Amino acid sequence: MITVENLTKDYAGFRAVQGISFSVQKGEIVGFLGPNGAGKTTTMRVLAGYLPPTGGRVAVAGHDIVAESLEARRHVGYMPENVPLYTDLRVNEYLAYRARLKGVKGRKVRERVEAVNRLCHLDDVKNKMIGNLSKGYRQRVGLADALVHEPDLLILDEPTIGLDPHQIRSVRDLIRSLGNRHTILLSSHILSEVEAVCTRVLILHRGRIEAADTPENLARLVRGGGGGVRLEVSCRSEEGQRELARLPDVESVNCRAEREGWSVFEIAPKTGKDIRDGIFSVVQQQNWRLREMSRLRASLEDIFVELTQD
Amino acid sequence: MVLWVLIQREIKSFFISPTAYIVLFACAVIHGLNFAFWLEYMTSNNIKDFTLLQATVNSFFFWFLLLIQAPVLTMRSFAEENRSGTIEMILTAPVREWEVVLAKFVGALSFFSVLWLPLALDFLGLRLFWGHPLGSSGSMELLSLAMLLLLGSLFLAIGIFASCLTRSQMVAAILSFGAIFAIFSLSFVVYLGLIGQTRDLVTYFSFLDQMDTFSRGIFDSRPLVLTLSGTILFLFLTERVLQWRRLRS
Repeated sequence: MITVENLTKDYAGFRAVQGISFSVQKGEIVGFLGPNGAGKTTTMRVLAGYLPPTGGRVAVAGHDIVAESLEARRHVGYMPENVPLYTDLRVNEYLAYRARLKGVKGRKVRERVEAVNRLCHLDDVKNKMIGNLSKGYRQRVGLADALVHEPDLLILDEPTIGLDPHQIRSVRDLIRSLGNRHTILLSSHILSEVEAVCTRVLILHRGRIEAADTPENLARLVRGGGGGVRLEVSCRSEEGQRELARLPDVESVNCRAEREGWSVFEIAPKTGKDIRDGIFSVVQQQNWRLREMSRLRASLEDIFVELTQD
Repeated sequence: MVLWVLIQREIKSFFISPTAYIVLFACAVIHGLNFAFWLEYMTSNNIKDFTLLQATVNSFFFWFLLLIQAPVLTMRSFAEENRSGTIEMILTAPVREWEVVLAKFVGALSFFSVLWLPLALDFLGLRLFWGHPLGSSGSMELLSLAMLLLLGSLFLAIGIFASCLTRSQMVAAILSFGAIFAIFSLSFVVYLGLIGQTRDLVTYFSFLDQMDTFSRGIFDSRPLVLTLSGTILFLFLTERVLQWRRLRS
């Protein structure tokens, strides 16, 4: 659905995107993740046909974004950051205008507007002026706008920015449900969101793709195969560290806390080893009481910090 | 058709705001008073040297409105879209730049025409109820109307061009008024005692004289060419700027 080859984008002497390549298949939900200024918005604007690339090749739905810009734009539903809207129109009017602008014809206009109103839960406000809507509703109008012409590809730039947790959850559910019918590229720096919604994550930093994989694989990437264990037992920290470190497959043992006779350890295994069995044996031998034993999963946040720190 | 959708939006955006009706009312009042003043003056003094139409198109208020309207009508056009970011929504929809520019122009010209409707009605009313509006014939009036619309087109195109250069309505208005007023001022430069080719060149830009010529019922193709080509030039430049932005920003 998207093919990007060696895309670069310069702003007056500053290279915002430095030769990135990736592709997105039909039906994928791909997340762009990166700190501010990483080049997410720039890349999305290029994909939406708003900015032309400085170098490289970009194709959307099989159409080159420069040579066949109009055709490419027909296939894209784009929701820019901060969702600029005409504040002097009512929601219904605006969506009907946008639908017709994007080539929806005649009787289908009303049909589509009603459909996206329902989908984005805008029925309560469909006759209100956009200027009087709250941020959450405006965001949904933007989303409805992106959806109104039934595009194959949705490009959503920070779709949940500035929303309260309630709204974030409902937008997230909406995006997930849209994944059945649309290919979606979204950007965010709310990591849990990308983790919850996306099938694949591209981590962007300083105009380069630092990593591209499923959220699970990225986690494995950072923790050298994962499989770390968190353990809370009744022993002194030195004692625990000494005994646990004796296990052959253990890479390191860290004591996170020690309080009232209980210690919390984080134990990292050597690559690819499962150490849970061994740990349990140690606990048994030492006659420690056990309060918690759980696997550590690297969150995207860890990956993000690890990959994007300078 | 996409162009028609854009034009509808532009026209609507003019008529949706209450300010539009205040401006319309103010213009109607100024036209009416100006018209009534000359009508009264000419009938009571029994003036036959010039027609009421000539008096009107040479009056201060006629030009005052004509020069001030274009900046006011067009200052929003692109500047507001640039400021609020809605330009991004338009240009990522499957529309061509020239369609957007043309729609802005047609929208502005429509509202401009409405603003001059009261004056046209003043003349029409005089013709209907009095037979003839103090000397002018129908062709004189139609030619003047045509010249008015041509001048309006040129001024609006300049205004739209100024508006696409900035995100501030104020800057847009000042830029376009400056440019329009500068061109209009050439009408007076002729009287500075110019000779030869310079004089010919400046005369070519003398809208005041051209308007007067048309109001006498004389058709001159030079202003037609000037205003039309000027309009097209500025609309074309606007389209270039939109594309160039896309290429550069």
